Amino acid sequence: MSKYELPKIFDYKDVNILKQFITETGKIIPARVTGVSASNQRKLTRNIKIARFLALIPYTDMHK
Amino acid sequence: MNKYEAVIILNPNLSNKMESFMKDFDSLLSDNSFNILKKEDVGRRQLAYSINNHNKGHYLLFNLEGDPSKLIDIENKIKYNESIIRHLFIVVKEHNGEDSHLLVESKTKKKEADSDDNPVEDIQVKKDDEVKNIKEVDDTESDKASENAEDAPVSDEEVKDE
Repeated sequence: MSKYELPKIFDYKDVNILKQFITETGKIIPARVTGVSASNQRKLTRNIKIARFLALIPYTDMHK
Repeated sequence: MNKYEAVIILNPNLSNKMESFMKDFDSLLSDNSFNILKKEDVGRRQLAYSINNHNKGHYLLFNLEGDPSKLIDIENKIKYNESIIRHLFIVVKEHNGEDSHLLVESKTKKKEADSDDNPVEDIQVKKDDEVKNIKEVDDTESDKASENAEDAPVSDEEVKDE
């Protein structure tokens, strides 16, 4: 019973799913908080970092 | 042969010159023996943070197939193309044939905007008509009032002053 919605395949283009796993300040939420499995957390992290590079999600809330 | 997913963010001010850019880009890819399997024009999108003082970007997604050694040449060309503000090539095992979430999102937004726009315009037109009618009515009424009874407007003014 997780409140987080996990896709079958992680995709850096699916911003809405990735946004569940970052804080308001843009940090990646640790797996011990979300309860995501270790292998999913690794995929998630990789995709969040790609999405950040493409300016789909912010690195921080301090962007000008 | 590797399979690639490419994301290219264009300068939003050059959206009008998209066609010429696409021709150049297509020829650049075909010169380096890259196949375009799928092309998605997501359109302008708000950037999460500003890149080179741009707040919006024109997103293009490609599914490509080609030789890794040629990719370096393509990236070297892209690096010095000033209309591209960011680019990324990712190696994938298999291409997902479906439309990307970004394209779906932009399409739904466009639909919403279109469906929103039409009624708004109608309402505005109606409002304009109503305003005109009211104005006309006002004119006629005030004319009548001034003609028939000169006392009535004076009392109105008194009320306003209070």
